[in-house]
Amino acid sequence: MRPTLALALGLTLSAAALSGPFAPAVHAAGASDTEQERAARWQEIAKSIFGDRTIEPTDSLVKLEAPKRAEDAALVPITLTMPEKDKIKAVSLIIDDNPAPYAANFEFGPAADTSELKLRVRVNNYTDMHAVVETTDGKLYEAKQFVKASGGCSAPMGMSEEEALKGMGDMRMKFADAQPGKPVEATLMIRHPNFSGMQMNQVTRDYTPARYIDKLTVSAGDRKVFTMTGDISIASNPVINFGLKPDGKPIQVAAGDNQGGAWTHSFTAPSPTN
Amino acid sequence: MAGRSILRRGAAVAAAALCLAAGEPADSPVNVPEPAELYAGPPHGYTPPTLKGAQVVDAAAVAAMLDGPDKPVLIDVAARERKPSNFPEGRLWLPVHPSIPEAVWLPNAGAVPLPPEREALFYDRVAALTGGNRAKPIVVFCHVECWGSWNAGKRLVEKGYTAVHWFPLGVEGWQDVHETRNLSEDAAWKAAAP
Repeated sequence: MRPTLALALGLTLSAAALSGPFAPAVHAAGASDTEQERAARWQEIAKSIFGDRTIEPTDSLVKLEAPKRAEDAALVPITLTMPEKDKIKAVSLIIDDNPAPYAANFEFGPAADTSELKLRVRVNNYTDMHAVVETTDGKLYEAKQFVKASGGCSAPMGMSEEEALKGMGDMRMKFADAQPGKPVEATLMIRHPNFSGMQMNQVTRDYTPARYIDKLTVSAGDRKVFTMTGDISIASNPVINFGLKPDGKPIQVAAGDNQGGAWTHSFTAPSPTN
Repeated sequence: MAGRSILRRGAAVAAAALCLAAGEPADSPVNVPEPAELYAGPPHGYTPPTLKGAQVVDAAAVAAMLDGPDKPVLIDVAARERKPSNFPEGRLWLPVHPSIPEAVWLPNAGAVPLPPEREALFYDRVAALTGGNRAKPIVVFCHVECWGSWNAGKRLVEKGYTAVHWFPLGVEGWQDVHETRNLSEDAAWKAAAP
């Protein structure tokens, strides 16, 4: 929910509180219908992405955390926890009720530490989100979380296109304190508007064409950390937190967008502090 | 319904009305004067607290109407999700439109300008849905901070409907307290779409 909406709803709710209780809950009673609708939609999406492969529920291989009610639908923080790191080959994030539900896929390499992965996404409707991991033995497991937010895909960036495109492809990377022989937590920030193609320029009434990072590869030396396939559901100015196993060689980042933009950066690997 | 907040907003609106040119997007939710005509400015933005000739309602009032003896016709004029023109082929595109379960969805019927044949069809559809009864309660809505439903309500008031209700918080205000249902576009409206 965007701040303005919070204000608008706040006004209404306080007004309702003055005049008495909410209406009878009959309109909230269709929970079973809604649940069925959501389950059916997930089946359709899963089939489209994973074909006929079986996806089993899990509460240990992947956990999906998101705010139950997002402050800003265009910037919803997601945390994927995958503690059994040697078993994880890839993870997909699906935002069921976004018009383009398949938000991101990460394929991990030998330099990855999958225990925690964070990113920020756009959420268009109150929705189930799914994280699906593929284990090294080729099986699929899913975790689910419901998120309340809406309008994130079409929310304008609040600046001109020109301004939003300034410095596109600039990157920064931060590392948490490194300890010898331990994985390091890294934060990669990329300047890029990640235009969804659903955002209207309010003055010209034109839609800004989609321009988003669709491929992102991070390596430690010549060992891959991950390759991300991205989509319009990833928030503007992507920020990704991930774990990596450094070996002293530079951390390489290569990003590309759907309009042919390509950027590479090299960062000095973190060195143990003691 | 909205006692205190509307009063507060009313005072601010009166103060701000003088310095806000018509058709300019408002920069704050508390100083949006009601336009005299249909609003042709940016479709997304702060909306006024009033619609002359119509009643402004919140989610509780809509729910109460639905539970009452004379169920309103609910008209949702929210725009369709627009598929980006350069969206990759073969990539999953599955837009949904959650709304108030009983509503009829006439996407963009609040657009200004609206082609004459679309405007005529809008009136035809509302006439059919109300059984030709201009006193039938109607609730128009789209999304929060969307002018479409204000314009659609304005059109109906001007057409002589006497029980028009405008629900400015729209789908967002409804789903905050109630279940939604994914709607398909009204068949007649879709069939005649340009």
